[in-house]
Amino acid sequence: LTTPPNTRPPGPDDHADERSPLFGSWGGLYAAVLVFLAALITLMYIFQVSFA
Amino acid sequence: VKTIDWAVLALTLVAIVAYGMYRGRRNRDIRGYFLADRSMKWYTVALSIMATQASAITFTSTPGLGYADGMRFVQYYFGLPIAMVILAVTAVPAFHRSGVYTAYEYLENRFDLRMRILTSVIFLIGRGLGVGFSIYAPSLVLSVMLGWDMSLTSAVIGGVIIIYATSGGVKAIQWTHFQQMIVILSGMAIAFFVAVSLLPPDVSFADSLRVAGAMGRLKVLDFSFDPNDRYTFWSGIIGGTFIAMAYFGTDQSQVQRYLTGQSVRQSRMALLFNGIIKVPMQFMILLLGVAVFSFYQFVEPPLYFNPSETERIRAGEFSAEYSRLESWHHVTFEAKKTMIREYLGAGAGEASPGWRKRLVEAASRSEKVRADMSALAKQADPSSDGNDVNFIFLSFVIHYLPAGFIGLLFACIFAATMSSTSGELSALATCSVVDVYRRLVRPGADERHYLIVSRIGMAFWGIYAIAFAQFAGNLGALIEAVNIVGSLFYGTMLGIFLIAFYIKRLGGWATFWAALIGEAVVLSCAGFTDISWLWYNVIGCATVVGAAAALQWVSGE
Repeated sequence: LTTPPNTRPPGPDDHADERSPLFGSWGGLYAAVLVFLAALITLMYIFQVSFA
Repeated sequence: VKTIDWAVLALTLVAIVAYGMYRGRRNRDIRGYFLADRSMKWYTVALSIMATQASAITFTSTPGLGYADGMRFVQYYFGLPIAMVILAVTAVPAFHRSGVYTAYEYLENRFDLRMRILTSVIFLIGRGLGVGFSIYAPSLVLSVMLGWDMSLTSAVIGGVIIIYATSGGVKAIQWTHFQQMIVILSGMAIAFFVAVSLLPPDVSFADSLRVAGAMGRLKVLDFSFDPNDRYTFWSGIIGGTFIAMAYFGTDQSQVQRYLTGQSVRQSRMALLFNGIIKVPMQFMILLLGVAVFSFYQFVEPPLYFNPSETERIRAGEFSAEYSRLESWHHVTFEAKKTMIREYLGAGAGEASPGWRKRLVEAASRSEKVRADMSALAKQADPSSDGNDVNFIFLSFVIHYLPAGFIGLLFACIFAATMSSTSGELSALATCSVVDVYRRLVRPGADERHYLIVSRIGMAFWGIYAIAFAQFAGNLGALIEAVNIVGSLFYGTMLGIFLIAFYIKRLGGWATFWAALIGEAVVLSCAGFTDISWLWYNVIGCATVVGAAAALQWVSGE
């Protein structure tokens, strides 16, 4: 058996930009997500020590 | 459950079917049927991704976990935002631009047909077992709580899904996901506010959190590094990243969701939204469990939350032991309530370590009675796991929510069952038709033929899931094995896809045999060690990548 050609037409932006959809660059997005995660964990820690 | 609740439940189910059929009314080929003509906006895809992942058990057992074990389960989701960014960078453009219907079709383009068939068959086996369970587990809980026959509950859920999924395909499924998530989130928010509003007038929400905190329910973070402990910060951030990458990047039930995005950008936005919203959402669902826990510190809870098992024990040979535990439960509850009042009256917890110590002791006496009851349930019925966590939240809903809202909350559980099951059904039908039927059995037929076969495939998997749910009760302990079967394959699948995306030097031969080695290692870990299943993904993935590199080097290709 051999691989058949793809019968599906390409999507509207199959060659769209390589840029991140947010924060301008992928590095910026990674950094933003890590900051977001760190902020969430810090808030959870504050929550934990406030009521524990 | 009053007439208005039944009306709300029936109306919601009818609205889901009608909306699904309306949205999915135009399908001319399998591109429309399985990929919604790649027409979906990011917010529809995002909610569909969340709805597919969130089964009814998520919404019944997660508050139950918050009640019984506290908030630490949220750590399991810490790796998810990281995984979403990685997949947005790699998997989304790779799948979109190669024009595939399934994630496994991509592997044929990258490696060979053997890899496509291997991964597709692994998915069909794992998810095929899982889809039956995803109807069975909530049907069991709902039938106990509503007093319905189990067969009727699973037939209603499965039948509704078959109607709109078969006629409307993925368009119907994803638009109903959108609607179902709105019902689910509204129901959860209402339950949270009702639980808080039912606290005694002189007890504030902050007071209730102080009590829950003193009893260990607000311990969110655990930084200990113990591979046998399921929920720690490290297993969440490392194991959680791998499991999220495996689930969202290699499981067709998720890949299919973002393949329907209008563009690479829309699909990326959907994954990133999921990454941002998931941790706070799970935190709030666990907090709902803690709110129910706080409420039950002032109102006596049932000794055991599963009503049918309770009735069976009460009427059987262990009735005397049950009565003894029930009396002891009442005594320990009253003692604990008095202690809570004194603890709250004494001011801030830090200023009254003596009160806090006595409260913790009273709480542990109460917990001991619950543990004894769990042991009695197991003794009375050896097939029971003695775990009533799935019933805690629904028991609260039935007994304390106002009329109308009970119907909404049950609609919410039905909607969650339908949302996860329909996502899985569409993925199973796509793999069966595109990877097996169109590729191996009958290539080259016209679109109309494939569309008819696709509808038959969707209906077949729906009927199979209902049939599985009917017999699942007889499977006993096998059910648990079925439930974790997916996690046994994810690591290997992730290893294969990581090689496909990143290590272009490694070919199909080395990767195929490395996948079999990786799977053997994971199964050995499951069979012969106590390592938590969260780590299987890391182990399986690392073994596949390492073995493929070694095999390629040895073969000199």
